[in-house]
Amino acid sequence: MFGYVRPLREELKCRDFDLYRATYCGLCRAMRRRYGWLAPMFLNYDFTFLALLLAPAEERFTPCRGRCHANPLIKKPMCQTDPGLETAADKSVVLTWWQLRDKAEDEGFLPGLTARLLAILLKPSYRKAARRQPEFDRLVRECLEQLHRLEEEKIPSLDRPAHTFALLLQGAAPKTGEEGRDRAMEQMLYHLGRWIYLLDAQDDLEEDLAQGRYNPVAARFGPEGDGEAMKRTLDHSRNLMCGAAQLMEFGCRWPVIENILYFGLPLVQRAVLDGSWKQIKNQRIWRHHT
Amino acid sequence: MRDPYSVLGVSPDASDQEIKKAYRELARKYHPDNYVNNPLADLAEEKMKEVNEAYEAIQRQRSGGGSGGGYQYQSSSSSYSNAGSGYQQSYGGANPTFARVRSMINGGDLNGAERLLQEVPQKNGEWYFLMGSIAYRRGWLDEAMQNYNLAVQMDPGNMEYRQALAMMQQGGAVYRPYGGGGGMDSLDCCTTMLCLNCLCGGCN
Repeated sequence: MFGYVRPLREELKCRDFDLYRATYCGLCRAMRRRYGWLAPMFLNYDFTFLALLLAPAEERFTPCRGRCHANPLIKKPMCQTDPGLETAADKSVVLTWWQLRDKAEDEGFLPGLTARLLAILLKPSYRKAARRQPEFDRLVRECLEQLHRLEEEKIPSLDRPAHTFALLLQGAAPKTGEEGRDRAMEQMLYHLGRWIYLLDAQDDLEEDLAQGRYNPVAARFGPEGDGEAMKRTLDHSRNLMCGAAQLMEFGCRWPVIENILYFGLPLVQRAVLDGSWKQIKNQRIWRHHT
Repeated sequence: MRDPYSVLGVSPDASDQEIKKAYRELARKYHPDNYVNNPLADLAEEKMKEVNEAYEAIQRQRSGGGSGGGYQYQSSSSSYSNAGSGYQQSYGGANPTFARVRSMINGGDLNGAERLLQEVPQKNGEWYFLMGSIAYRRGWLDEAMQNYNLAVQMDPGNMEYRQALAMMQQGGAVYRPYGGGGGMDSLDCCTTMLCLNCLCGGCN
């Protein structure tokens, strides 16, 4: 995905930061163990957030040490591989592959060459992941096809294309059978998906216009966009996410999740809206040689 | 019933003050005002009830089995309890179709409500308000806003429409931890760039 969903380091307690990093590293390791060396290259903060959400609330944080994928000479604390982390790894691979495919098709032959190549390399991993998560695989394919259709129609709406992407993310949480929790999780992921899609559209506004591509923000508000209106609707989605999150139990992961919702997302949103995001998005929350 | 102390997230030997503080914070979190028109309003109401009961139980225990009394959010919460779940309240409605649409929205049948609404030939303020409400329930916040806007334009005197629009304009209501000020607002003292450094930089 896009890496918009990250915590604000300064406001995290040390132990919560450790938990976050161990989840990130644990997810990386789960991807490597299940899918080989290539898959962890696509690991990002958004998937880490998904892994935090999918971990069972009652599960305690007991890190173990494992070798880092980026630098095998060092060992790092990592979350132990558990079914929640494995599910997050599977879904990350499915989503990554479909997004690469999508990108390859969108960008035409030459510019899309890298994405096509990566999609080919990732295909065996994708096949395995799709077998493990057939329903999610189907959902992602359907939603991206639907999104494609809407984009081809050049639909002048924010909500409709965002809805399609939001449904995709909503499907990422397995049902627990507990009605209230499932509903809250669905609302949270729906608005997370909506927020990510709209923020990405805002982020790509200039580039899409230059390339003559469809952009929902331009289609709705004109080529200049409307920062005020975007801020309002993004804020509102975040508020609905927070409201839903407050109704769920996340155990020891709550402080990190709360930090991401109340500090990380607003700051990233502000950076995208004022245009400073491009310079900082590739910076890491931590350096590798720790 | 769960242990009232764990509901409030305090230890059984917490002082009365601590319990009151924990209770107030939770009551603020699950307050119906934070879940107006939210499809999850019923869950918040349940939580609120649980918290109220836990607080009362502790009060009873501590006063030696006497009556609860003391500080209560209960009264204000019950007076709000319609706000979250009901579009129907205060509205007899001139048009019986609109009344049906409202009850379908409350029941969660959004597609049915939309179909029914599409069949109404005359589009007045209420029509747009209900369209907006359907969009809102779906999470289509931009379309909800557009429809509420039209509703207010057509019927500027209607408080229900104006409240709905005002809620959209402030980006919805939400509980903010870290005191009343809210997470982000407290960061406004530093420049954006500084904050972004906090966001991404640093190492250990």
